[in-house]
Amino acid sequence: MYIDPTTGSLVLQFVAAGVLSILAMASRAREALKSFFKLLVPRRGRWAGKP
Amino acid sequence: MGWQAVEGSFRDPSGFVYTRDGTLYRQVNSSFREPFEAFLASGLYDELATEGLLVPHRSVGLELSASPEAYAVLQPDRVGFISYPYEWSFGQLQDAAALTLEVQRRALARGFTLRDSSAYNVQFQGGRPLFIDTLSFAPLEEGKAWPAYKQFCQHFLLPLMLMSSRDIRFGQLLRSYIDGIPLDLGSALLPRRTWARLSTLLHIHLHAWALGRYSDTAVGSATKGRSMSRQGLLTLVKNLGDATRRLSWRASGTEWADYVDDNNYTAAASQNKRNLVIGYLRRASPRTVWDLGANTGEYSRAAREVAPQVISFDVDPAAVERNHRRVRAEGETGTLPLLLDLTNPSPAQGWAGRERLSVEDRGPADALLALALIHHLAIGHNLPLEQIARYLSRIGRRLVIEFVPKSDSQVKRLLLSRPDIFPHYTKDGFEQAFARYFTVESVSPIEGSDRWLYAMSSRGNGG
Repeated sequence: MYIDPTTGSLVLQFVAAGVLSILAMASRAREALKSFFKLLVPRRGRWAGKP
Repeated sequence: MGWQAVEGSFRDPSGFVYTRDGTLYRQVNSSFREPFEAFLASGLYDELATEGLLVPHRSVGLELSASPEAYAVLQPDRVGFISYPYEWSFGQLQDAAALTLEVQRRALARGFTLRDSSAYNVQFQGGRPLFIDTLSFAPLEEGKAWPAYKQFCQHFLLPLMLMSSRDIRFGQLLRSYIDGIPLDLGSALLPRRTWARLSTLLHIHLHAWALGRYSDTAVGSATKGRSMSRQGLLTLVKNLGDATRRLSWRASGTEWADYVDDNNYTAAASQNKRNLVIGYLRRASPRTVWDLGANTGEYSRAAREVAPQVISFDVDPAAVERNHRRVRAEGETGTLPLLLDLTNPSPAQGWAGRERLSVEDRGPADALLALALIHHLAIGHNLPLEQIARYLSRIGRRLVIEFVPKSDSQVKRLLLSRPDIFPHYTKDGFEQAFARYFTVESVSPIEGSDRWLYAMSSRGNGG
C-alpha cells in the first residue's frame, strides 16, 4: 500500500459498507417476500370465476 | 545512462515507466516480485488484457532494465496520445470511473484489489478507456478495507457530482487539484439537496467530515479491530458504480454547443471546404492530426479518412461531450475528443512542473487543422496574428488553416459590441504574419464564402 488512505476514510468505509450491506440485504428480503406473496395470492381471474 | 524516466511515474515504489531508444518499458522492482507473480498466475491479467480493459504487455530481457532493483521488465503497448482527466469531457471521466470500478470488481472476484484508483491510471485508446497501471494489483488482505476508496471519490465521484449538479466547468478543478478534488471543498460546493441522497451523503459529505474528525487518530484505535469482508467490498464497489452511473449532464447550453447547426456555411461551401481539407491532408500524409477548435468533430472525421489518429480539441465542454458520445456510439477508433482552451492550454505541472506534460510537450502533431478558428483568437482574444503563427508552428509540422475575413458574418458578430481595433487583420496581414513561421504550399478560396483555405508547412523557427 503506497497511498495514504487516511484514518477517517477507512472509518467511513466500514460504516458505508455496513449501511449498504444492510440495505442490500433488506432489498433482497423485500424482493423475496414479494415473490412469496405473489405465489400465495391467487390471480384476479380465478375470483372472477374464470378457469 | 541510456534510458529516460517518464516523469509522472515515480510515486509507486513497486516500479516505474521509462523509455529507452524511443521504446516504452515498465520496470517491476524486486520488492514487488511476489504480488506481481501472483497477479499473473491468477489469470486476472489475461482476463483483463484479453477483454481490452488493461494495457497488454510483453516481457523483455533484464538487460533493458533501468536500475539494479529490477526483477522484470515489461514492454506495454504504447498509448497513441496521453491525455489527462482535466482534458476529458463529462462522459469520458464517467467512462474512466466505470472502468476503474469494473477492474476493481474483477480483481476482487479473483482475490486481488487495486492499490490505487487514480484517474491517471486510465487512458483513452481506440475510442475506449484503458487501464494502464499493470502494477496496481495486489493480493487482497482479508478483512482490510480498500485503501484507494478516498482516491476514487476525489478523482472520479466528486468531480462528476460537481459537474452534474452544479456546473460543468467544475471539472477544471481537476487541473488545480491533480491529486483529486478535496472532499471538504466538494462537500461545501455541492447543493444542499445532495445531503438527502444516500450515496452523496456517505461518499462525500460524511466522508469529508470523517477525514477531519479522525485526522489525528491512528487507524488501529479508530477502527478497533473491525474487518471488511470481500462481500462488503463488492457491495461498496457496486454502490459507487450505481452512484457514478446515475449522474448525467445534458450537453447543451454552452457557448458553442449548437455551432454546427448554427453557422453561415451553405451545403456546397461545406462540401467544398471538406474536399479541400482532405486533399491537403492527403498530400501531407500525416500520422497524427490535431484538429484545433474542432467543435463536435465534423472535420476531425474528414481528417480521419487520411490520418490514423486525430485529436479533436475544443474549448466547449458540450461540444467535446457530443463528440465523445458519437465516438462511443459509432465505435470509432481513431478519434480522441479532448478539452483544450488554446488561449490557456494545459500546462506542464505536478511535481517539479514535469509530472504532467503540457499540450506542446505532447507534440508536435504531423498536421494541424485550424478551421473557423483564427478570428476567434485574433479578434475574440486580441492575440496578434504573428504570435498565433509562432505558437502553431511549434505544435504542428504542417497546418491547414482557414482565414475568415471581416466581411464574414461570424467576424461581424465578434465586432458587434466593440470597436474594430484590428487594422492588420486582413488577408495580406494574415499572410505576412504567417510567412515568418510557415511556407505556404497552397491557397484556395472556399466556394460560396469569402474565406480562404491555406496549406502550410512549418519552418521550425517558432521556438
